[in-house]
Amino acid sequence: MIAKMALAPDTDQHVSWAPDREQRSGVAASVRGLSKRFKKARVLEDVSFDVAEGESLVLLGASGSGKTTILRIIAGLEQPETGRVILHGKDVTDLPARERGVGVIFQAYALFPRMTVEKNIGFGLRIRRRPRKERTKIVNDLLKLVQLEEHRKKYPWQLSGGQQQRVAIARTLAYKPQVLLFDEPFGALDAQTRVHLRREIRALLRQVKVPSVFITHDQEEALELGDRIAVLNDGHLEQIGTPDEVYNHPQTEFVATFLGAANLLLGVITGNSVEIGSAGLPAAKETARFREGQSVKLVFRPEDVCLSKDANLPEGCRRLANGVIEEVSFVGAYERLNIRLDLTHRRQFQNEAPSYQVTINTPERMTGVPIIVTQPKPEPNATRYKAGDRVAVGLTSFSVLPNYTLARQR
Amino acid sequence: MKLGSIRHVRGFDVARPVSIGVMLGIMLPLVLLPLLSIFVFGTSKGLGVFWASLVAPDAVFALKLSLVTSFWATVFNVVFGLFGAYVLSRYDFWGRNAVIVTISLPTAIPTAVAGFALLLLWGRYGMIGKFFSEDHQIMFTPYAIILANIFVTFPLAFGVIKPVFDTMSRSLEEASATIGATRWQTFWHVTLPSLRGAIFSGALLTFARAVGEFGSTILVSGNLAGRTQTAPLYIFAKFNEGQIEAANAIAVVLALLSFVIFSVLFFARDWMEFETQEA
Repeated sequence: MIAKMALAPDTDQHVSWAPDREQRSGVAASVRGLSKRFKKARVLEDVSFDVAEGESLVLLGASGSGKTTILRIIAGLEQPETGRVILHGKDVTDLPARERGVGVIFQAYALFPRMTVEKNIGFGLRIRRRPRKERTKIVNDLLKLVQLEEHRKKYPWQLSGGQQQRVAIARTLAYKPQVLLFDEPFGALDAQTRVHLRREIRALLRQVKVPSVFITHDQEEALELGDRIAVLNDGHLEQIGTPDEVYNHPQTEFVATFLGAANLLLGVITGNSVEIGSAGLPAAKETARFREGQSVKLVFRPEDVCLSKDANLPEGCRRLANGVIEEVSFVGAYERLNIRLDLTHRRQFQNEAPSYQVTINTPERMTGVPIIVTQPKPEPNATRYKAGDRVAVGLTSFSVLPNYTLARQR
Repeated sequence: MKLGSIRHVRGFDVARPVSIGVMLGIMLPLVLLPLLSIFVFGTSKGLGVFWASLVAPDAVFALKLSLVTSFWATVFNVVFGLFGAYVLSRYDFWGRNAVIVTISLPTAIPTAVAGFALLLLWGRYGMIGKFFSEDHQIMFTPYAIILANIFVTFPLAFGVIKPVFDTMSRSLEEASATIGATRWQTFWHVTLPSLRGAIFSGALLTFARAVGEFGSTILVSGNLAGRTQTAPLYIFAKFNEGQIEAANAIAVVLALLSFVIFSVLFFARDWMEFETQEA
């Protein structure tokens, strides 16, 4: 079922499934200051964001972060305590779900079991009492779009998960939804199908140009599906931005650690650099917004670390400290190194040969600060790193975040 | 001979025919033989006698009365069982569980007690019945039989339909709402089709039970031949009068009817399982 991309070629691009509207730019949907609590527990706290026309936004968060509640509030299946939901400029907060014209793709698709594929897709038009001829035409167009023409007479239980999902999408496109809402769309599928299906959906959405909101707890999925990602934590919005922004320039520790692995070191601002123990990392641009002596967190991803056995780090790599390789493990596409950083030694000059105090076989190893580094799979004849090697450690990319001691200072 | 050697004689599993034999030996006399005797005795004096007792005016009337009263009780109980199940599984309110227990109570109440209770409520001197004039009494009319049937069989349809409501995914109805359907459209197009199997089996169960109802009916109907005598009462009356053939003929019809209903229920089970699976 999933062997090939099941998408119609762009033959009928003039057929638009987005609402008939003049504006093709601008805000399609926005939520303003959503708050909600269940019993005593706060689930949402002042959440606001916009979804642009034709954009796909991913709400990323762990279970219990409130992402599902946001989706249900936009759909009208739940009421916010405070805050408004605005769809294409119209405040719909007080409208019931059926008057909002929102398309929801439920986690288990929620296809009507007693209806065939074509009846499922035509349901929205049927209850709107559209003429039969128009209904047939739209259903045919949609069946073609999602490539299910030969399955039109089948019942949902006769379809694969991916096919059911396409029926669910077509069913909402039939009434030209204001916005599409996907509730953990790939949660019920195995890893392989999941990867395949999200590419399929991405391509389909590019074609139909309907603004969409996805919710997921899978960071890889978020990075691939979203034009922008909104990271939610415990009911509030941590950061919203393009995949590149949230991944490479996380604004909070939560964002940094939730989207992939990150190393975290505590430091202090000294002049134009971040001082971490005895090491100093020159970072004029990154430290500009902090005052002298402020406590900060240095956050960097394992793949943003560069290593060198001599003092010569590659171009664009800022030297952080020296370290000893503690362990090398091979993880398929890349190598994973555990390194102990020497942060208690005096600072070294840029071209001075590394000298070491940290060891890995004596009790002093504990003075070394552990970090995790990933390196692309080395070429066959390249010199490999092995445990015990002493290396100079530099960073190509990192973020400097304020180190609040109290959560409420945030 | 040791037990072990009995169980397996050269690859032949002795336990199988023995178990089947014992099972049949117990079940047949217990269940099948009494039923068989009805048919044997019913036709023992020739088919002519059998037919004559079957088409006797009082017998035909009793059968018709049973079917008609059972039919209306079934209609009422399916409609209200459906409604009750919908309300009780969709809305949470204070005392909901108490209501569920109360509704299901008639299952456990002896039917004679049920009939007696109805008399005390609707009878000439009953709690409600005393406000009705002599000409508008409900007891000892066919309506009393319907009332008794409704009371005794109420939990059946409700009990079959409610679990289906409970297990039905809410997201189907939510999906329907977001697509733009009103509550009524959602119920009609989405909820009801998923309940078809439950409604069907609930109706058959109710009907089968109502046709055979005796204990409560004999108290509230008055047991007047040709007026308020249902088929089971007819069997009882004729038996008491010593007219075994007359009783037997109706007994055959009732036995066949329940046999047919039960077969439909049993063989339609696959079809119903298929329904619940999807829901």
